[in-house]
Amino acid sequence: MGVFVFLPLVLPLTAWPVARLAEQHLHPRSATRLLAGVAAVLAVCSTLCLALIMVVGTAQLPGNPLPDGWSDPEVRAAVPYDEVAGKAAIPALLAVAVAGGRTLWRHLRVRRRATRALAGLPGSPVAVLPDSAPYAYALPSRRPGRGRIVVSTAMLARLDSRERRALFAHERAHLTGRHHRYLLAVQLAARANPFLLPLRTATEFCAERWADEEAARAVGDRRATARAVGKAALVTGGAPLAGLASFAAPGPVPRRVAALLGPGPPARSLPPALTPAGLATLVAAAGTLASALSSVNATVALFLVLHAATPL
Amino acid sequence: MDRGAGRRAGEGRHERDPRGRRRGQGELEAQVLSVLRLSSGPATAAWVQERLDGDLAYTTVMTILSRLLAKGAVTRERLGRAFVWQAASDEAGLAALRMRRVLDGETDREAVLASFVTALSPDDERLLRGLLHEASDMPAGPEVTGTEQAPEG
Repeated sequence: MGVFVFLPLVLPLTAWPVARLAEQHLHPRSATRLLAGVAAVLAVCSTLCLALIMVVGTAQLPGNPLPDGWSDPEVRAAVPYDEVAGKAAIPALLAVAVAGGRTLWRHLRVRRRATRALAGLPGSPVAVLPDSAPYAYALPSRRPGRGRIVVSTAMLARLDSRERRALFAHERAHLTGRHHRYLLAVQLAARANPFLLPLRTATEFCAERWADEEAARAVGDRRATARAVGKAALVTGGAPLAGLASFAAPGPVPRRVAALLGPGPPARSLPPALTPAGLATLVAAAGTLASALSSVNATVALFLVLHAATPL
Repeated sequence: MDRGAGRRAGEGRHERDPRGRRRGQGELEAQVLSVLRLSSGPATAAWVQERLDGDLAYTTVMTILSRLLAKGAVTRERLGRAFVWQAASDEAGLAALRMRRVLDGETDREAVLASFVTALSPDDERLLRGLLHEASDMPAGPEVTGTEQAPEG
């Protein structure tokens, strides 16, 4: 296994260029799928290797529950472990498990509580709630086609009829595209390996752009869609969520509006190989492949060594 | 006649929600509220209980009414030795009150619910106003500044 076991922990770095470039050069639909897929594979490999390092590390600890044979001098010689890395992997893997579990639990809790809040209303696809706070969001459901759009009257009051149609089309695109799955996948991935955070941000942006483009297509008016996004952001933007720092770079909403005011995205799903975006995609693909191969290599190597060392 | 309408509404909800218990609380609140809305004036808890789907205990009805009171969906006043209750909002209003509690209680709900828009920084806001100005066929200024801001002066 050797040094290969550490590779998947840092190979997510190869996906950084594509996270940046996919936003600009790919259709948002392809970009979302590509980035979420790459992030998921890299996260799984990274966690797998953390677990392998942990097994090696745990076998050194006195009183560990693993078979005694696993800490034989012969095994130690075959598995090049590092005292520090092996032990550091234990809290690291625990942290990954806790953070991932919390993310998943919170996701399901918000969905459950929001669904319960709507109990007693007729089961129409759109729930309009009389509320002075402007909000609009897509509430996914386990059963496809049963997701609902939740929008407050305060939000609708600020938009004209075209803009409202754009808003509904945007949320419907989230629901029919099952975007929450991509979002959850990249959130879990970013918990598994912090190097995947830029992929998470990029995927979230691309999913919004994807829904924006669907909305613009459904309404047939890019400017009205841009106005809907911009107005909605201005009426909700007064109270940013606590704990969110404001960054100097333009945030996602102005970039979304600017993109809608520009021409539509390229129709092709993958960029030609000899452009920066194409090269970045190739690098990310190579990184993902290398990560997967290293993980498999390390897993097989460790399995063979430990299998040989385990008395049956 | 009022009674029949209340029953039918209640039964319909039960049929739509066969999974039962855990979502029951929200359903019951909505049911009690809809029954209360059928009353022309303030009604007692016993009146509400009578018009519900039969199998609810008086104390359960009282609990649900108190919960609705805490949410501001009903009001009550003392009449003799008992309380009389009156609906203060409709089912959609109740759902809105409940939704606000969910949204206010979750600091990172943005991460979960695909919200239409996310928070803006001051720089973003300036940039966005410029873009909107460009995008609008109509003046974007006063219309989007938000009516909730306190009037100045």
